[in-house]
Amino acid sequence: MEVIEIENLTKFYGSKAGCEQICLSVSGGQIFGFLGPNGAGKSTLVKMLVGLLRPTSGTARLLGKPLGDFTVRRHIGYLPENFRYQDWLTGQEVLGFHASLCRLPGPEKRRRIPAVLAMAGLAGRERQRVRTYSKGMQQRLGLACALLTDPELLFLDEPTSALDPLGRREVREIILSLKKAGKTVFLNSHLLSEVEMICDRVAVIRKGRIVAEGPLEALLGGAGEAEVEVELAGFNPRLEQAVAGIARTVQWAGEKGGAGGGEGSRIKGRVVLNKQTDTARLAELIVLNGGRLYALTPRQRTLEDLFVDLVHEKEEAPGC
Amino acid sequence: MLTIALFTWREAVRRRLLIVTVFLAVVFLGLYGIALYFANKEICAHAGPVAQKLFIPQFFTLGLYFGSFIVSFLAILAAVATISGEMESGVIYAVLARPIRRSELVFGKLLGNGLLLVFYAALFLLALFLLVHAVTGFTVSGVAPAVALFCLQPLILLSVTTLGSVLFSTLANGVVMFMLYAVAVVGGMVEQIGWFVHSETMQRIGIVASLVMPVDAVYRKLVRILLAAADSSGAAFTQMGPFGAQPSPNPASGCWFTRCSISPAQSRWLCTRLIKKISGSFGNLPPDIFSYLF
Repeated sequence: MEVIEIENLTKFYGSKAGCEQICLSVSGGQIFGFLGPNGAGKSTLVKMLVGLLRPTSGTARLLGKPLGDFTVRRHIGYLPENFRYQDWLTGQEVLGFHASLCRLPGPEKRRRIPAVLAMAGLAGRERQRVRTYSKGMQQRLGLACALLTDPELLFLDEPTSALDPLGRREVREIILSLKKAGKTVFLNSHLLSEVEMICDRVAVIRKGRIVAEGPLEALLGGAGEAEVEVELAGFNPRLEQAVAGIARTVQWAGEKGGAGGGEGSRIKGRVVLNKQTDTARLAELIVLNGGRLYALTPRQRTLEDLFVDLVHEKEEAPGC
Repeated sequence: MLTIALFTWREAVRRRLLIVTVFLAVVFLGLYGIALYFANKEICAHAGPVAQKLFIPQFFTLGLYFGSFIVSFLAILAAVATISGEMESGVIYAVLARPIRRSELVFGKLLGNGLLLVFYAALFLLALFLLVHAVTGFTVSGVAPAVALFCLQPLILLSVTTLGSVLFSTLANGVVMFMLYAVAVVGGMVEQIGWFVHSETMQRIGIVASLVMPVDAVYRKLVRILLAAADSSGAAFTQMGPFGAQPSPNPASGCWFTRCSISPAQSRWLCTRLIKKISGSFGNLPPDIFSYLF
């Protein structure tokens, strides 16, 4: 079931585009990463989806209901990027206020508030005023607030921006546990390594338009190509020709003239293969052609590589 | 809406707004009572009961005037940041993502602040009546309409200030509201003097000012009701001075009472038309958030 369906959602601030013709669909039980540089329109999209901004054009459905449907908001959690809560209240009172806004029945309210406080790591601090909370604690309170109604769908806008590494790890674990419980998480984040660790699908937005979208492995794997680093001795023209035969590109670094030499004639190369299964074939060819293979390391393309490529290179976005 | 109204009261109590204003009102009434006691004593001792009948109403309007000042300031300060402050701090984002309409938020705050102000103003005026009566024996009739009018003043200011907090930043709203209040006060005084010196232009200036912001006109009407009924033989004299009410306020201002008390509802039209013009000047705030308020 599609939990989020977005069609041509567009937002203009005056004549400036915040988001243009965004088309996305997110299935239930997924962690969806939404990436983009500052000012690309990530938060604008989330604000439109949670009802803080009215789209200029386009439509979207959340949990099968159109945007603006109030009944669905009960099942949506939202942690804003600029998380701020009434600093004259205690953490528990903030959650109590939000529970009233969501019209949570009394028993559920009494059950959920301690549960989300514990989940967000605020147990024992709930009676302190929010003004005494550190920024990280306020973000944890925001997360507790987002989780309060046990929502089916969560929008987390930079949920770990104020947290230390341990806190980030805890939040990652919370997000993964939510996924296990069948919830859908829409994660806006700058922290690419974090997204890479937990997201099933990602979309990259640039200048208000989506420039890539799909399962993480597919995006990182490119068109099935694989990059490997090799280190060998016994380099010779026959070997060079054989490797070039199965590689898309090859770059050698080192002294090629030391054919048949000893340890001093090692050479390193970076080989981009047409498909991942050619990695074994590459090792075989090196050995068959008189090379002595010392290392063969598949190099995994990171999300950061992909992000940098997309943000710098792509000019036009794919349509719906 | 009720959740927001209750929350507004809780905020007033928790942030000590209520306790501070009640304390200051007690201080004001205490000082006023002491001054009134000695003034009354001197007048009785040296000028006699006729002078007392003429001068005590003057003291009474003095207390009434500064009392309405306090209540008006409280109304402005209670509402000046009611929406804009939450937008500026970012508190509103988490709230508006909940199943709550923008109008519920605005009217909830209006209801909460409004009831608080009505309660405060009514108690303040009754305390003033009792104090003046206890010290001087001075009585007024028409207490019920007077209390209603005294409560209407902060309600007018509250509704216009709430509208301002949707349209402007907190600082700009504060400046605009105090300027509007000053226009009303000065306009009322100019009109009052205009009646003494028979200047039609000055009277018209006062009427125009009361159409812009009718709080002073409400005050003059209130004094008119209280003092004309109190002592008709000395009415002309008791209504003299900057705090009296020589003319009965213009009926056009009366239309404004109703107009202003429901202005947030009617301002939807104004809001939706002004949003595009104004919202661009709010920097990193999402401009369209204003359009959701109604």
